[in-house]
Amino acid sequence: MVRHWKKFELPLLLVLALTAAFAAGPERATLIREASLYVSAGSNAQRLSQVGRGSGLTILERSNADGQPWMKISMAADQEAEVSREVTGWLPAKAVVTGATANGDQVIFGQAVDSERQAEERGGRKGAAQDALRLYSRVAELFPGSPLAAEAMWRAADIRWQLAKTAFVRTAKPMEQKYLLAVIAKFPQSKQAELAAYDLLEGQMCQEWRGQAECPQKESAVYEQYAREHPQSPKAAEALYNAAWRQAALADIYRIENDSGKSDAARKKAAALAQQIAGQYPQGDWKPRALDLIYKLEKKIPIYGVLIE
Amino acid sequence: MACSLNKVNMFTKKRALLMLCVALAATAALAADKEHGTVISEVTLFVTPDPQAQKLGRVTRGRDIFLMDHTTVDNKPWDHLLAVVDVDLERETMREISGWVPASVVVTTSTPNGDQIIYGEAVDSENQAEQRGGRKNAAQDAMRLYYRLYEYFPSSPLAGEALWRAADIRWQLEKSDIRLRPSSREMSPDMRTPMDDQNLRLVMKKFPHTQWADLAAFNLIDNKLCGSWKGETKCPEKESELYEKYAREHPQSPKFAEALFNAAWRQGALVEMYRTQHEQDKSEKARKKAMELAQEGAGRSNESDPKLADWKPRAIEFMYSLQQGIPTYDAEADRK
Repeated sequence: MVRHWKKFELPLLLVLALTAAFAAGPERATLIREASLYVSAGSNAQRLSQVGRGSGLTILERSNADGQPWMKISMAADQEAEVSREVTGWLPAKAVVTGATANGDQVIFGQAVDSERQAEERGGRKGAAQDALRLYSRVAELFPGSPLAAEAMWRAADIRWQLAKTAFVRTAKPMEQKYLLAVIAKFPQSKQAELAAYDLLEGQMCQEWRGQAECPQKESAVYEQYAREHPQSPKAAEALYNAAWRQAALADIYRIENDSGKSDAARKKAAALAQQIAGQYPQGDWKPRALDLIYKLEKKIPIYGVLIE
Repeated sequence: MACSLNKVNMFTKKRALLMLCVALAATAALAADKEHGTVISEVTLFVTPDPQAQKLGRVTRGRDIFLMDHTTVDNKPWDHLLAVVDVDLERETMREISGWVPASVVVTTSTPNGDQIIYGEAVDSENQAEQRGGRKNAAQDAMRLYYRLYEYFPSSPLAGEALWRAADIRWQLEKSDIRLRPSSREMSPDMRTPMDDQNLRLVMKKFPHTQWADLAAFNLIDNKLCGSWKGETKCPEKESELYEKYAREHPQSPKFAEALFNAAWRQGALVEMYRTQHEQDKSEKARKKAMELAQEGAGRSNESDPKLADWKPRAIEFMYSLQQGIPTYDAEADRK
């Protein structure tokens, strides 16, 4: 009976191992340096295209050529598009980081920081901001349990948001909120969720005030609400300052409209909010900025528009 | 010198010149006794305390002023001031104009919370300078305001930070100006005009053993860096030494991890340079040194400080690249 069972043990284990491998799915990876995609393994093969940093890759096969390891991968031809045709080819394996790479999360995050710095530098590498965006996204995808995952996902969403903002000025293309909302959904109550919520306030701002009270009134309320709902946010003091500054601007707008009652009420509200900043956030730049605003309100130095002498 | 009398001049001319000298000396003496201050908003200077009076010019934020008189017209306070509007440090000259401004924009040494108000306005100007479409010359406004804070309130808790920020803004402005000159691409730093380090040295002298002094010392390295390497190993060799020396001498600096990373990165560049020159021993030695420096930097970067936390993953990525033989520097491109 025992002997009979042993006969089936090896094939069973093989079947189980294959099932587990299939269930785990194909191995996902990314690149930390730009590389050429080849038709076959080896640098003498025909080149298909360039693969950018942070591209999402699926590993299909491994091989050795030219004395170094190579990987056959498939990837979306357009990394930015939601639907794209797929391309397959061979890459030198040395710049490929997978979920199994030791410290892989730190390695990808480090290259993302490097790319972000490049993007900020005058004369920095072209497309570096997009590289950083993709690399940060991969940290959260490949290493969802990493302590860097929340920060990486937030940075990717923020870079995407800032790029969309620049594009909006040029083309009026609406800014997609889903990436910031995903940070809030995935890491609720975190610092990164609070930063994402702060970015989203920009969608509620007027493009131009045109001297009308309606816009600063609404914007001040939006910022004040944020500060009340996110008291621990790194942006809470800034939100309160923005609310106070808009009230100070309202005081000027109402004064120009000869509505002294509303002007005084706005001035008082601005001073109260600024006083709250000075009391609640004694460290850093926000207290002096609030005190400067209070001084200007007391001396009736115009905040908004041209100084009328 | 300007007041020396020429013997051949007519008596009337002599008398007029003498009177001018006396008047200038009296103004200066009067100003010396008066309160120092600055304006926190750009303002027009009038001949008399009246918005309809003749305009003398504009006084920009952070200008050094002496308060000479004060009056109230139509229930509005006005200040008579002497403003220093144009300082030429090389010629050691300055241009002063006097006139009246609305008192509301003037902050003096006796204004309660004057240090915080000037600092707040400086931060605001610095923010403006960083914004696309921000106020013109806002960086210069910020620089002057920060400096005034240090000058008028030297014992304020904000004085060290303010002097450092003023010195750093000046340094960055000068750096971007020098970068536009062809000499900035010269390999040797001696071939280009160095940035004026007077204010950074003042930070180190007035606030020794502080983080401001450490930051100022880090900026000073810029003057010793090559404009371009042109494929020569002596530049990254020297620069790596400079950054490592800084890290050894300033172990508590907020720039410690960055300095070690910069030193390591230059060693990483040397790995490629020596490799393309077929000097395997030197390449391997540089690789080991780069690994040691990066390892030390990764171990010391402070993960609780968001500004410093990024240096650890950068160092780990750099070490991974070295281990995998991924070039961290394009030696061929630099040679071209």
